[in-house]
Amino acid sequence: MIVSAFLKSLFRRRGRTLLALAGIAVSAALLLDMTMLASGLTVSFGELLGVSGYSLRVTPKGILPFDSEAGIENGRDVARRIAAVDGVRAVAPVLGAQFRIVRGDSAGEPVFTVGVDPRSEFLYRLTSGRQPGPGEIVVSEPLARDARLKPGDELALAGELDVTLGRARATRRFRVSGVGDFLYDYAGEHSLAMTLADAQAATGRAGEVSLFGVATGEGVDDDALAARIAAAVPEVSTYSTRELMGEMDKRLLYFRQLATILGSVAMVVTALLVATIITIGVRERFGEIATLRAIGVRGRRVLLAVVTEGLVLAAIGCLGGLPLGLWMAGRLDRILLSFPGIPARMTFFAWEPRRVALAMGIVIAIGALAGCIPGLGAIRAPLAQALREEAE
Amino acid sequence: MIPALVLALGLAQQPAQQQSAPAAATMPTHAIAAPPAPSAEPAAATPGVLVERRLAEAVPLRVGDTVRVRALAGRAAPSAFVVAGVFEREADPNRIARNELELRFHLPDLQRVMEKPDRVDRFAVVLQRGARADSAARWIEGVAFGTRAIPSAALADQTSATFRVVSRFHDAIGIVTILASAIFLLCVMIIRVDERRRDMAVLRLIGVSRGTVFRAIVLEAVAIAVVGSAAGAGIGLVAARIVNAHYAAVYDTTLKFALVTPHIVLLAALLGLALGVGAGALAAWRVVAVPPQKLGER
Repeated sequence: MIVSAFLKSLFRRRGRTLLALAGIAVSAALLLDMTMLASGLTVSFGELLGVSGYSLRVTPKGILPFDSEAGIENGRDVARRIAAVDGVRAVAPVLGAQFRIVRGDSAGEPVFTVGVDPRSEFLYRLTSGRQPGPGEIVVSEPLARDARLKPGDELALAGELDVTLGRARATRRFRVSGVGDFLYDYAGEHSLAMTLADAQAATGRAGEVSLFGVATGEGVDDDALAARIAAAVPEVSTYSTRELMGEMDKRLLYFRQLATILGSVAMVVTALLVATIITIGVRERFGEIATLRAIGVRGRRVLLAVVTEGLVLAAIGCLGGLPLGLWMAGRLDRILLSFPGIPARMTFFAWEPRRVALAMGIVIAIGALAGCIPGLGAIRAPLAQALREEAE
Repeated sequence: MIPALVLALGLAQQPAQQQSAPAAATMPTHAIAAPPAPSAEPAAATPGVLVERRLAEAVPLRVGDTVRVRALAGRAAPSAFVVAGVFEREADPNRIARNELELRFHLPDLQRVMEKPDRVDRFAVVLQRGARADSAARWIEGVAFGTRAIPSAALADQTSATFRVVSRFHDAIGIVTILASAIFLLCVMIIRVDERRRDMAVLRLIGVSRGTVFRAIVLEAVAIAVVGSAAGAGIGLVAARIVNAHYAAVYDTTLKFALVTPHIVLLAALLGLALGVGAGALAAWRVVAVPPQKLGER
């Protein structure tokens, strides 16, 4: 009864309570967003790495995927040795290169090109047409749209430009066999895929591979398999999804720490807001509390009522903050995804139920704790003095 | 074309002569400690290389040491270089995410190591006084097929795309923070005014005008906002120092990650003032709109 009476007092001052709830909701929304941001890109990156089914990357020693022009020599032999490692389901070789689309006497911007084993479906998903054979290419959807390409069209690609002669060098003609959705491309990126043999021949890097994607067997631990591959093929580096996520984490340290700082600020603001509202609410009801104590109501029950008031206030604020936070996350994500080179499939804000529940739990706990200080003050105040103050 | 290098390190038999600063070539380096191996070539014939301070400290390397270098993207055998000097890399925000270690070679030496003779990534062109950068760029592109000439202002604009995104993100977060602050201030003001409704009633009943009460409340809100803003600026200054010290240690850089400028302080103060006036006016309106006889009611 005491608790419900205290809760009813929240509705006695509706305007004030609504304002407090709005403040808590905004703070909770900010905290929620920062919680989602702290791990969002890393989690999203991890999911993106796994979406192709190839959860490991094998690269030249000490190099992250496509971080340099370095290549793995004798690719076929290395692929065979990797495939022989227990737990490996499939190995997909990739050679990265740059080509320019040649039209007449002019050559366009460099287009990122991958030489792949078309059977692996590692870096793209076909949306129309078929996988490339010798002398054929798959183009990314933005390239197909912007260059008005469709399966069956021909395209001239140049590996180099001769500045002295003023024309493209080593030009080869390819037929578009299909259009693909390239999993790791940023929004609007122009890219191509061709057979590994064609890419090696066109770049003069016979037998060379930039990296391998490795698909693991059912129930095989990524990290353990990475260690086994590293032991079997010591001249390469093997990265599990977790390790690549760790590397991503290092490069995105700024965002994680920014999220921590802003999340802490949001928590402090929430605590101050709830504490202010409850403190003043308790001050206003000093007389009521003194009367309750005078007629024999225990201090503990009064304290429980005050704490419950803060808890309910914070909980309702959180409920309002949840949709607001999700809406804000969407807006902020759109801003951050305009970063150059961020794959379009990624998101900066990952919905992780456990982390979100923790963030909201913290806000509610802060609400409960914020009620403790004024509550303790009210039940410890000398009874006679409190009654006299109220009478005056 | 940014090649990565593996360094196999060996100690020199004798220090080499200090050399002039070689031409810059930026590259991520991957350092691998190897058993000391004496230089096979005489010190005088060994070309020099400049080593970035962080790399020199990590290995460790000193002027006169000999290192063996090979390009990862190549098949050439490692070449010996004498550490001619140790340099401090300029604080460049564009490179902070990868924060790679750096070596600087004479251009022909790097071309030899990479097996790419007479090959460059880019030229920096200094124009004569009065020459227009954009027309010079167009002329260069016409003469040298396949090249792109970009005026430094345009290049700076392109490379700052990342920071524009970060700036927009900060703006968005700033708006949310201002909204939270506004609600907070309004809450505090309403509570403070509600607490003194009886006092306000007495003031009104003894003849103090609505305007006077209104102004008094607004002034109080402005005072709270200004004091809060001043305290916020102080906290901001301290926080910026902590943030900069932290990141300086994390990235081993002299870059400033947080800056509190007079412009920012002024903006915060003006925002605080505006929020104070707004919150005060709203809180005051709730009081002056009620007849004084009813102000004392619970």
